[in-house]
Amino acid sequence: MTYLFQILNGVGLGMLYFLLAVGLSIIFGLLQFVNFAHGAFYLLGAYLAYEGVERGLSFWVAMPLAAVIVAALAGMTERLLLRRVYKLPHTFHILVTVGLALVVQELVIIVWGPLGGNVAAPDELSGVMILGDFIYPEYRLFVIGFTVILAAALWWLLDRTRLGAIVRAGSESPQNMALLGYDTLSINTAVFALGAGLAGLAGALAAPIRGVEPFMGVEALGIAFVVVVIGGMGSYAGALAAGILVGVAQSLMATLWPEGARLVIYLGMAGIIMAMPRGLLGRA
Amino acid sequence: MQDRRAFLKGSLVVGAGAVSGVALPGLLRSARAADGPLVIGAPLPISGAFAANGKFASLGAAFAAREAAAALGRKIVVTDIDTEGKPAPAARKLQEAMAQGTRLFAGGILSSEALVMGKEATKSEGVFITTAGADEITGSDCNRGTFRWSVPTFGAIAQTVRPLIEQMPQAKRWYTITPQYVFGEGLLSAAKVVFQEKGIEHVGNSYHSLAEKEFSGYLTNAIAAKPDVLLLLNFGSQSSDALRQAVSFGLKKRMTIVLAWASGLEQFEALGADLCEGVYFGAQYWHGIDSPLNKELVSKLRESAKMTPNYSFAGSYQITKLLLDAVAKAGSAEGPAVIKALEGLGYLGLTGHEEIRAADHQVIKDYYLLKGKAKSAMKDKDDFANVVNAGKSFLSPEAAGCKMQQG
Amino acid sequence: MIPVLDRPLVQFGLATAAVLILPLVMRSGTLASEILIFGLAVAACNLLLGYTGLLSFGQGIFFGIGSYVAGLGLVRAGLPAPVMLAVSLSVGALVAAVVGWISIRRQGVYFVMLTLAFSQMFYFLAYTFSGITGGDNGFLDIPRPTLVGTRLTDPWTYYAYVAVLFLVLFAALQRVALSTFGRTLLAIRDNEARAGAIGYPVRAFKVAAFAISGAVTAFAGALHAMLIGVAPLSNIDYHTSETLLIMTIIGGSANLFASLLGAGAYLLAADALSAIWPRWLLALGLLLIVITLFLQRGLWGLIERAIVLVTQAPPPDDPARPVVTPPPVAHAPEVAR
Repeated sequence: MTYLFQILNGVGLGMLYFLLAVGLSIIFGLLQFVNFAHGAFYLLGAYLAYEGVERGLSFWVAMPLAAVIVAALAGMTERLLLRRVYKLPHTFHILVTVGLALVVQELVIIVWGPLGGNVAAPDELSGVMILGDFIYPEYRLFVIGFTVILAAALWWLLDRTRLGAIVRAGSESPQNMALLGYDTLSINTAVFALGAGLAGLAGALAAPIRGVEPFMGVEALGIAFVVVVIGGMGSYAGALAAGILVGVAQSLMATLWPEGARLVIYLGMAGIIMAMPRGLLGRA
Repeated sequence: MQDRRAFLKGSLVVGAGAVSGVALPGLLRSARAADGPLVIGAPLPISGAFAANGKFASLGAAFAAREAAAALGRKIVVTDIDTEGKPAPAARKLQEAMAQGTRLFAGGILSSEALVMGKEATKSEGVFITTAGADEITGSDCNRGTFRWSVPTFGAIAQTVRPLIEQMPQAKRWYTITPQYVFGEGLLSAAKVVFQEKGIEHVGNSYHSLAEKEFSGYLTNAIAAKPDVLLLLNFGSQSSDALRQAVSFGLKKRMTIVLAWASGLEQFEALGADLCEGVYFGAQYWHGIDSPLNKELVSKLRESAKMTPNYSFAGSYQITKLLLDAVAKAGSAEGPAVIKALEGLGYLGLTGHEEIRAADHQVIKDYYLLKGKAKSAMKDKDDFANVVNAGKSFLSPEAAGCKMQQG
Repeated sequence: MIPVLDRPLVQFGLATAAVLILPLVMRSGTLASEILIFGLAVAACNLLLGYTGLLSFGQGIFFGIGSYVAGLGLVRAGLPAPVMLAVSLSVGALVAAVVGWISIRRQGVYFVMLTLAFSQMFYFLAYTFSGITGGDNGFLDIPRPTLVGTRLTDPWTYYAYVAVLFLVLFAALQRVALSTFGRTLLAIRDNEARAGAIGYPVRAFKVAAFAISGAVTAFAGALHAMLIGVAPLSNIDYHTSETLLIMTIIGGSANLFASLLGAGAYLLAADALSAIWPRWLLALGLLLIVITLFLQRGLWGLIERAIVLVTQAPPPDDPARPVVTPPPVAHAPEVAR
C-alpha cells in the first residue's frame, strides 16, 4: 500500500519537475542553447513570490506576477547578453550562464540576506487530504492540478496556435523563417522568456513546499537537466513523461533504497542515454 | 660512493634551502611585534552555502574582540578567513595565516573544515577553538591544539530524547530520519542506545543523501509506521526542509516532532512561528538562557545593534572570548601557554557555569530542549520558544575515543 | 596564433619561469603549491577540452580519487610517496579509461551529461563508503612526503617538491600534445568523421586521451591531499569539476601554459577577493560573462593580443583553437572551420 502512496506522491513531484524542465527543453530544443542559468530563474521566481507575500500580496497574485517578472528579466538578458553568444561553441553557453547564475545567486543574497525564508501556502490550501491511511497536503494536490492545466495550455500553444507553429518552424529552419520575413531574433527572445518564465513559475509554486534559500537553484538545475535528457532534448511530451518518471522513481526509492534516492535519478539518466540516444521521446 | 651520495643530498638540501631562502623576505615581513595588535584568526564560511552562519559568526567574534580590547587595553584584530565552506580552502588559508604568524583561531562552523584546521593548528603549536559538531573533534581525532565549545551527539541526544521520554511516557513508538553523514550516524547510534535502554520501539529509520531536499517519500514511510514521535536527526537546511514538509503533511497533529540538532534563532526566523509551534528543538544555545553573561550579551547587543544574538553569533562570541580570556590569564599569546590556560578552565559562560575538560579539550556545558511557542504567545519578535529542559551529558574522554598526550 | 609562443621549448620555458617567479612574488608557499597543482589538473582537463574537444564534467572524479589514493596509500598501506604517486597515476588512468569508454559512446550534450552522471555516482560512493574515505569528514592525517630524511612540512620546501614534479609532468603532457597522438586528437576534434574515414580508431584515441588526462589529474589530486593534509569529500564533487572547467576556459584552451595561467589567475583572484568582499562570487560570475563576450581565447589570448599590439604583428585568425606548431620539418595544416 505504501508503494501506491509513493507512486501518487511521485506523480506530484514529477509534475513540478516537468514544469521546471519544460522551459529548459524548449530553450534547448528551439535555440540550441545550453542554459546553465535555468536554476537561477527558478530561484528568482521563488524569491519574488516570497517578497510579494511578505509585502501583503495574496499568493494567487504573487505567484503569476513572479513568473511574469522573471520572464521579462530573462527576455532582457537574452536581448542584451545571450544573443551574442548563440554562435559560439556550447562551452561558452555554459560559461556565460554559469556566470549569470553566480551573479543572480549573489544578488539574491545581497538583497534578501543569506538566511532564507518561508512562504506559507495560501489559507485555502493549508490542510491535508486524507484517504484512508494516505495523507497528502492540499497544496501539493493543487500543484498537480495546476501543472496539468498548464501543461495542456502549453501544448495547445505550441501545437495548435500560429505562434506555436512559428516557434517550432523557427527551430527547424531559422533561415527559411528569416526568408519568409519573420523576425527570428524577437522569436528567440520570446522563446527564451517563455522558458525562463516557466522556471520562475516552478520556483514560485515550489516556494510553499520548499521554502526559499539562495542556493535552491543549484539542485533545481541538476534535476532540470536530468529530466530534459531523459525525456529527450526539445521534446515537450518527453519532459512530461520524464518528469513523472523521475518523480516516481525518487519517491519509490524512499522506501526501496532511501540513501540512493538522488543517485538513482542520475543512474537512470545514464541508463537512458546509453539505451536510447535521443532520450525517451527526443526528436533528431 | 658515499661522498657522491652526501654531495647529492647536500645539494638537494641546499637547493631547497635556496628556494625557501628566496622566499624568506615574505616570511620576514610577518614578524610579530610583542606590543603590536593581537591577531585572532576567524576561519568561517563567509561565501558558499553556509554564508548565513559565517556572517553572524563573524559579527560575534568582532563583538567579543571589541569587549576584550577595552578590558585588556590592547588592540585586538580579528581577521576573517573565508573557508568557503570547504576543507581545502580552509586548510590552505589556515596554513597561510600561521605562516604569517597568527597562532590563535576561533571558528570552523562545519565539521569537515574544523577537523582539518584543528590538526593544522596543532602542527605549528597554534590554538583552534570551534563550535563544529563532529564527535571526532574531541573524540578519535582530538589533539593538543583543538578545543570545542559545542556539545557532541551523545549529549545532544541525551538531553533531548531522555527528557521527552520522561515527559511523554505513553509515546513508545519513535521514527527517525537520518542524513547519511558520519555525524548523522553518530546521532542515530546515540539515539538507538537510549531507545534500547528505555524500552522504546524504534519503528523505522529513513536514511537520506547529503543534498536531499525532497522528504515527502520518507514522510510517507514515517506515516505508514504510525509512530508517536518523529525524530529528525538532520541539521541545517535539511532539517528545515524536513520540518516544513512534515508540517505540511499534517504530521504535527498526529505525532510529536523533534529536531535533535537545531540551529537556534536563525532557523526559527527562516521557518516562522506557525511552523515551529509545538515542535521540540535541541539547541546549543538560546538567547533566553538565564545566566549573567548571556543576559549581558543580549542586552548589550540589542542596545548597540538592535539585534538578538542567534547561535552563530553567540557561539562565535563565546569561543573568541574564551581565547582572549585565556590570553589574559596566561599573560601571553603563545600557543602552549594559551593551551595551558584553557585546560581545566572553569568560568561563567553563556550557558552558566562551564568548564574545559583537560583530557579532551571539550567544554562541559548545558544542551537545551526548546519547545516552539504559538505566535500569539510571543512576547517579542524573537520569543519563538521556551526552554523546557537543560542539562549536561558527556561521554568520558576514553569512551569518546580521545587519546591525547598531556601537556 | 603567435607561432613562436607555441613552440614546445618556449612553452616549457614559460612554465619554468613561472615556477621560479612564484616564490619571489608570493607570500604563501601553500597557495603557490596549489597553483601548480591545479595548473596540472587544468592542463589535463585542457587535453580533453582544447585538444580533443571533449567537455568533461568528470575531472573532479579523478582529482578526488587521487586524493583518496594518497590517503589510503600513505596512511593505510604505508607506501613511500613516490610509489603512492605512481599508484595514483595508474588508478587515475584506469578509472578515467572506464568513464571515458562509456561516456564517449554518446556525443555532444549527452556526453557531457554522462560525465555528470558519473561525477554524481563517484560522489555518492565516496560518502557512502565512509569507512574507506572518511565520508564527509574526509580522510585525515595525510602526511607530507619525506625527502632525504626530512619531512617536507615547510611550505616552500614542499613547493620545491611540487614544482619539480609539475615541470616533469608538464613536459610529459607537452610531448603527448605535440606528438602524432596529439595531432590526431586535434584532427578528431576538428572533424571526427573525416578522421575516422581516414582510418584512425577514433574511440581508442579518445579513451587514451581520457586515460592520460585522468592519470595526471589524479596525480595532482594526490599532491593536493599531501598539501592540505586531508582528502576532503569536496575534492570529488561536482563543484570541483565545474571549477576545473572554468579555470581551463579562463586560461584559454590554446596551449598548456595557458592552463597554468588559468589556474593561477583563478586562485589568486579568489584568494584576494575573498579577503575583502564576502560576495566575491559575484565578481567571478561577472568575469565569466566578460570572458565569454570579449576574451574567448582566455587570458592567453589576452596576452597574445597585447604582444600583437606591441609588435604590430598580423592579427589573429581563428579564435579558440589550439595551434600546434610542430618542429620545422613536417607541417600539420590547420583545419579551417
